Amino acid sequence: MSVRLSRRPLSVPAAYRELGQGPAGGIAIFLGRVRPDRVGARIVRALDYEADEGIALAAMHRIERGARARWGADEIVLHHRIGRLRVGEISVIAGAAAAHRADAFRSARWIIERLKSDVPIWKQNVLSGDPR
Amino acid sequence: MSGGAYLPLRAPFMVRSVHVLLFASAREAVGRPRLERAVPPGGVPLRELLEGLGREYPALRALLGSCREALNGRYVHGRSVRVRPGDELAIHPPFSGG
Repeated sequence: MSVRLSRRPLSVPAAYRELGQGPAGGIAIFLGRVRPDRVGARIVRALDYEADEGIALAAMHRIERGARARWGADEIVLHHRIGRLRVGEISVIAGAAAAHRADAFRSARWIIERLKSDVPIWKQNVLSGDPR
Repeated sequence: MSGGAYLPLRAPFMVRSVHVLLFASAREAVGRPRLERAVPPGGVPLRELLEGLGREYPALRALLGSCREALNGRYVHGRSVRVRPGDELAIHPPFSGG
């Protein structure tokens, strides 16, 4: 089990190590990254992420338990970064290990969708030309 | 200990407030991450507290319809729940993590 909010860069190798510690035959890992979206004449150069950390962690633990109960996932990784992230940096890792690929894919998909709908995390654009 | 060495704390001198935590667009609407709001000892309905904040901060009032509130770490259902002195109320705009 691995649920985390972190102010430091997220590590894909660390997530893989946690997912790979059991005998699961399938591991699916989704990575969310900061996109250089265009906003009018300007471009997103970073995102500022914040969370209500206590409530967010409790919600992430519920998602982790839900993925095990619903999809039979053996291991779950749900790591979200907070603070300022530049374009290209990883904001979220949602991974699942299960006996077979179908349940690994379903679990990873389910936990990232639940994170978006259930966890109090917010992002704000930092645009080209912004002073901060 | 001899009697009368200490004066008891009396209610009128105690701080009786709700701690309001504001996040994301709600924080920007108010201009700060935290507010203290005095409430009577028996508390007030959440609706009344939010209406007061909305009158004080019109930019926040425009957002409140889309916000969720958590009281002492748990989301509330409906706004008739009473908010009492010492409670912590978090105001959450729609989430955008991921």
